[in-house]
Amino acid sequence: MIGFVVFSLRRAWQGFWRNALMSLAATATMVLMLVLLAGFWIIQTGLLSALDFTEQKVEVVANIKLDATPAEIAQLEQQIHALPEVAGVTFVSKEQALARFQASMEAQGRPDLTKYLDSNPLTASEEVKLKDPGYSKTVADALREMPAVRNVLDTKDTAQNVKTVTDILRTSGSVILLVIGVIVLFIIVNTIRLAVFARAEEIEIMRLVGASDAFIRWPFVFEGAMVGLFGAAITLVGLYLLAEPISSFMVDFFRVLPLSFGSLARDLVVIVTGAGLGLGVLGSWVSVRTYLIR
Amino acid sequence: MTSTPTQTSTALSPRSVRDRLLRRGLETAAADRAVLVLHDVTKTYPNGKTALRDVDLVVPEGDFVFLVGPSGAGKSTLNKLLIRDELATRGQVVLDGQDLAKLPRRAVPKVRRKIGIVFQDFKLLPTKSVWENVAFALEVTGTPRRKIAPAVDRVLALVGLTAQREQVPSQLSGGEQQRTAIARALVHDPRLIIADEPTGNLDPLISWEIIQLLLRINELGVTVMMATHDADVVTALRKRVVALEEGRIIRDEVGGAYHRAD
Repeated sequence: MIGFVVFSLRRAWQGFWRNALMSLAATATMVLMLVLLAGFWIIQTGLLSALDFTEQKVEVVANIKLDATPAEIAQLEQQIHALPEVAGVTFVSKEQALARFQASMEAQGRPDLTKYLDSNPLTASEEVKLKDPGYSKTVADALREMPAVRNVLDTKDTAQNVKTVTDILRTSGSVILLVIGVIVLFIIVNTIRLAVFARAEEIEIMRLVGASDAFIRWPFVFEGAMVGLFGAAITLVGLYLLAEPISSFMVDFFRVLPLSFGSLARDLVVIVTGAGLGLGVLGSWVSVRTYLIR
Repeated sequence: MTSTPTQTSTALSPRSVRDRLLRRGLETAAADRAVLVLHDVTKTYPNGKTALRDVDLVVPEGDFVFLVGPSGAGKSTLNKLLIRDELATRGQVVLDGQDLAKLPRRAVPKVRRKIGIVFQDFKLLPTKSVWENVAFALEVTGTPRRKIAPAVDRVLALVGLTAQREQVPSQLSGGEQQRTAIARALVHDPRLIIADEPTGNLDPLISWEIIQLLLRINELGVTVMMATHDADVVTALRKRVVALEEGRIIRDEVGGAYHRAD
């Protein structure tokens, strides 16, 4: 058994280098395909976190009645928290609202006119974050029923539009990734098939001298795995070198969104290595099957 | 005109030779057990082409058989059946006592090791040396390394290529390449050597060398079946001749010539 594995690995190594041109062509194809796959994965990840961010922006704001007591406000907050569609509530006091207004005026370079006011005309409010933008109407309706609420800033239409657009983008992103995965599979399998075909005579001889299927198949499977792992390694090194430009591009592209790329690097290592190994093995397995005992 | 077996005017009709050989095979089974028995074999390919029709053939242990006939007569199909690359549509192919149709898939490689095949185009691996080409046949069948070297050295000595062991095929003459192929076919200690036009690419003098080598291997007890177009060789050696035409055995005579003696 150990002898068999050693034999297969040795033959795989020899086979890879004896047909160096073919092997390198297969590896190059593998690299291109993995880069394609990784590229779309990165874009998909950026897209998804951008969508998450956008959806978080959808919130319902309930202005609180001017005469509401702190006790009533506390009760209101409890009621809002009790709604199942709500992800979080932020209380904005009259003073905070004024401070925000002043800050935004200053940011726009306009004169601060609030100093001419005798009192603070802004109302306190509750900013309600939703678990899903689709809930905005339900939550807005519920808020209107609550006694301490003066009025609700309705973002129903905006919410609905955001929901539609993000759903379409999510679905089409997944579909595109799937389609690319299938294309990559076919191209890799065909490239490896060519590499195996170039060795048809060798396989023929093995068959004729009475080599068992395992002895014919496994060296090629290991060779396919080698192509996959080499391809994955080259791809990952390339991505690592390009990581800095890519992330600055991503930040530019999606503007100042606080995208979370924490797990992206780890995901990419797993996906690229897994895809390379899997495609290499599968490609060889399928290609060499033609030559086995019928 | 010449294709019907009943019209053969040789002393022995195919039927009588077959019967004689069958009887011989049955009577003295222990002494000269048949290496190969084909019984009523017909092979029709999926495309409808029938390559062999009702072929009966018994090859006893130690026999030397010439298989003659024009291209497309069914010689290649016969070879494919013997190595179980194809299965007979009808009839039995029995190799060394094993019915190939009943053989489980897993057992096919082991049966193939009982046959050594030699081709017209040698089928050597161009990047491997003579020694490695022969050793390859043992390596890919899982032979332990310590057994490979003595076996390879022995067959290379037998075919007279000990001095050329480190050379690659492109450095060898045609005859030397064919001897390498014969060494590779022999290294498994096969029961039967199938030589498919082994001299087809060689000039007459070298051809005789190869034939002499096959005869010597035959004398060592290995059954040899050689397909050939070389009329001079067949006629000169007066061995058993089996003639195929359009998938049928039209002649099977011991001590025959290439052409029918009429």
